[in-house]
Amino acid sequence: MLVKGLPGGASRVNMKLYSLSVLYKGINKSNLLKAAYDLSSFSFFQRSSVQEFMTFTSALIVERSSTGTRSSIKEQEYLCHVYVRNDSLGGVVIADGEYPSRVCFTLLDKVLDEFSRQVDSIDWPSGSPATISYTALDSYLAKYQNPREADAMTKVQAELDETKIILHNTMESLLERGEKLDDLVQKSEHLGTQSKAFYKTARKQNSCCEVM
Amino acid sequence: MAESEEEVDVLVQRVVKDINNAFKKNPNIDEIGLIPCPEARYNRSPIVLVENKLGMESWCVKFLLPFVHNKLLLYRQRKQWLDREALIDITCTLLLLNPDFTTAWNVRKELAQCGVLNPERDLYLGKLVLTKFPKSPETWIHRRWVLQQVLRQCRPRAAEQKEPGEVELGGAQGSPPNERLRRVLRDEMKVCAEAAGRYPSNYNAWSHRIWVLQNLAKGNLKILYDELSSMKLWVSTHVSDHSGFHYRQFLMKALVAELSRATDASCGPSQDLHRSHWPNGDGVGPAAAEESRTASVPELFGKELELCTDLIETYPGHETLWCHRRHVFFLWYHWRKEQSQDVGRQPSLLNHTDETLSGSLGASAGRNVQAMDVDLALEESKQTSYTQDSKRLKRGPLQLRPGLPSEHSFVTKILSGCRSPEQGRFAAAYRKWLDSVIVAADTRDAKKWFSLI
Repeated sequence: MLVKGLPGGASRVNMKLYSLSVLYKGINKSNLLKAAYDLSSFSFFQRSSVQEFMTFTSALIVERSSTGTRSSIKEQEYLCHVYVRNDSLGGVVIADGEYPSRVCFTLLDKVLDEFSRQVDSIDWPSGSPATISYTALDSYLAKYQNPREADAMTKVQAELDETKIILHNTMESLLERGEKLDDLVQKSEHLGTQSKAFYKTARKQNSCCEVM
Repeated sequence: MAESEEEVDVLVQRVVKDINNAFKKNPNIDEIGLIPCPEARYNRSPIVLVENKLGMESWCVKFLLPFVHNKLLLYRQRKQWLDREALIDITCTLLLLNPDFTTAWNVRKELAQCGVLNPERDLYLGKLVLTKFPKSPETWIHRRWVLQQVLRQCRPRAAEQKEPGEVELGGAQGSPPNERLRRVLRDEMKVCAEAAGRYPSNYNAWSHRIWVLQNLAKGNLKILYDELSSMKLWVSTHVSDHSGFHYRQFLMKALVAELSRATDASCGPSQDLHRSHWPNGDGVGPAAAEESRTASVPELFGKELELCTDLIETYPGHETLWCHRRHVFFLWYHWRKEQSQDVGRQPSLLNHTDETLSGSLGASAGRNVQAMDVDLALEESKQTSYTQDSKRLKRGPLQLRPGLPSEHSFVTKILSGCRSPEQGRFAAAYRKWLDSVIVAADTRDAKKWFSLI
């Protein structure tokens, strides 16, 4: 007797967090200050490309978000949550579609608050992961893998006004008119040649019926 | 770049050999993958071995795959001979690239039947393939063929056999536990879990898992209980995976069937207790055994509904969780119905009916039932170490004995507190289902009871 499974939709049902990044929103482009990644659920040989794409995506999102806003952007089976503070410090969480977004925003608030107290704002515009000394991101990412560990949900319901979170259904909706994501990928300094090649082939294939 | 046929031939032979050598060099390879690499680096093998991961650079696939594919077909058409070693290597390469090429698996079946290939090697190859192609139907199908070979090898002499699959794990009195089968079973569960994690609602992986339990562990209560408990965390972190919850429904059905069947058996003169594998150990007397069996079915359902409640409250708006609740409650309803039809065997039956009647008449009786259960629940919570249970106790009383009144109050609670429109819709639909499917049938049964008294 065989089991019948209902279609689960496109979402990867892992309840996972993949990356947590802190960036500075400069006038023209954003500057990555620190990041943590959990790529264990990706196949081994894709991990370095995936990490580069997550950096690229996080930077682009912060660039295209206004200060003082919170947004959630859906991209394939991922949800990217961003908070850019009024002082231009920004944080991005890339999670899967199942992970409760409220918990992500709690995490972002917490991390940015702590970061701003430990790292002097004078270092933000020119900082990089190599020069910034803030080490808590990895442990936050690990701890929040289980959304119930955070146990902040009941509290956040009271504090956070959900109607103020901007929702985007695709990355494209962040772009200017006429701008193409493919072009931004090709020009990006966050992506190596292998990643750019990977992006090209992935766009052509339907990953479900992959033979190669 | 290799262009001529001889050059391609040389390249392909080299790649097939490199893959074979990689396995020899590292018998612990646990994952395969494709490395996006549009062009070959000069004179370097496309086969990359890093830690326990085997990678193949993408540029070589367009040469490799058609070539080995063709070679195997020529062999099959008897136009070109391949010796056994070559066949093993070529089919291995082929299947790592395209696991749904049935012919390659079939060639390996023939090699296994000749005794040239150990079938467990195909379990390993299949496991690797599934890291890249977690759904591959032909891989799962071949896996079942291999497991049947393994079962045949492990099977004791026909005379000792009670029922197919039942004695294999040492269920029969006196026969030693079969270590090989235990190991195989454990590995299968692991392979299924990994494949289920790699693709959402992986129908093929879950079906296979059910098949394995039905064929390698039939009637084994301990394994059913273990699976139910080990899956709890998985479904809690995959709340939209319908196949995962369906697996729990299968486990519940199987457990209820086993527990009920053993109750029937122990009522008769010959007490066939050796079928049972108690989660708490052996040496339980027949009367006590029967009591704890029938007592444990409501507990089983109570716990499952409790898990469902917990997840519905924590992750609002997931239809899968509500579907699961319907399945579980319906199973419970069915079991209760069957129990009530065995008139005279169960003196506590009238209490069941009373509960049903009071449920449809008013909430006050239901509240009394709840009060009793809180005591039971507190007792239970002292033993459990799962922190979420103790947190939930602070929110409200636990209901260990499921019933209509508790289901209705659950729906009311959800509707009054929910902020998600989907959650509200699902809750309302569930209530409608309870009223139309369950209560209507119950009312018919209750009327039947009245006419008999």
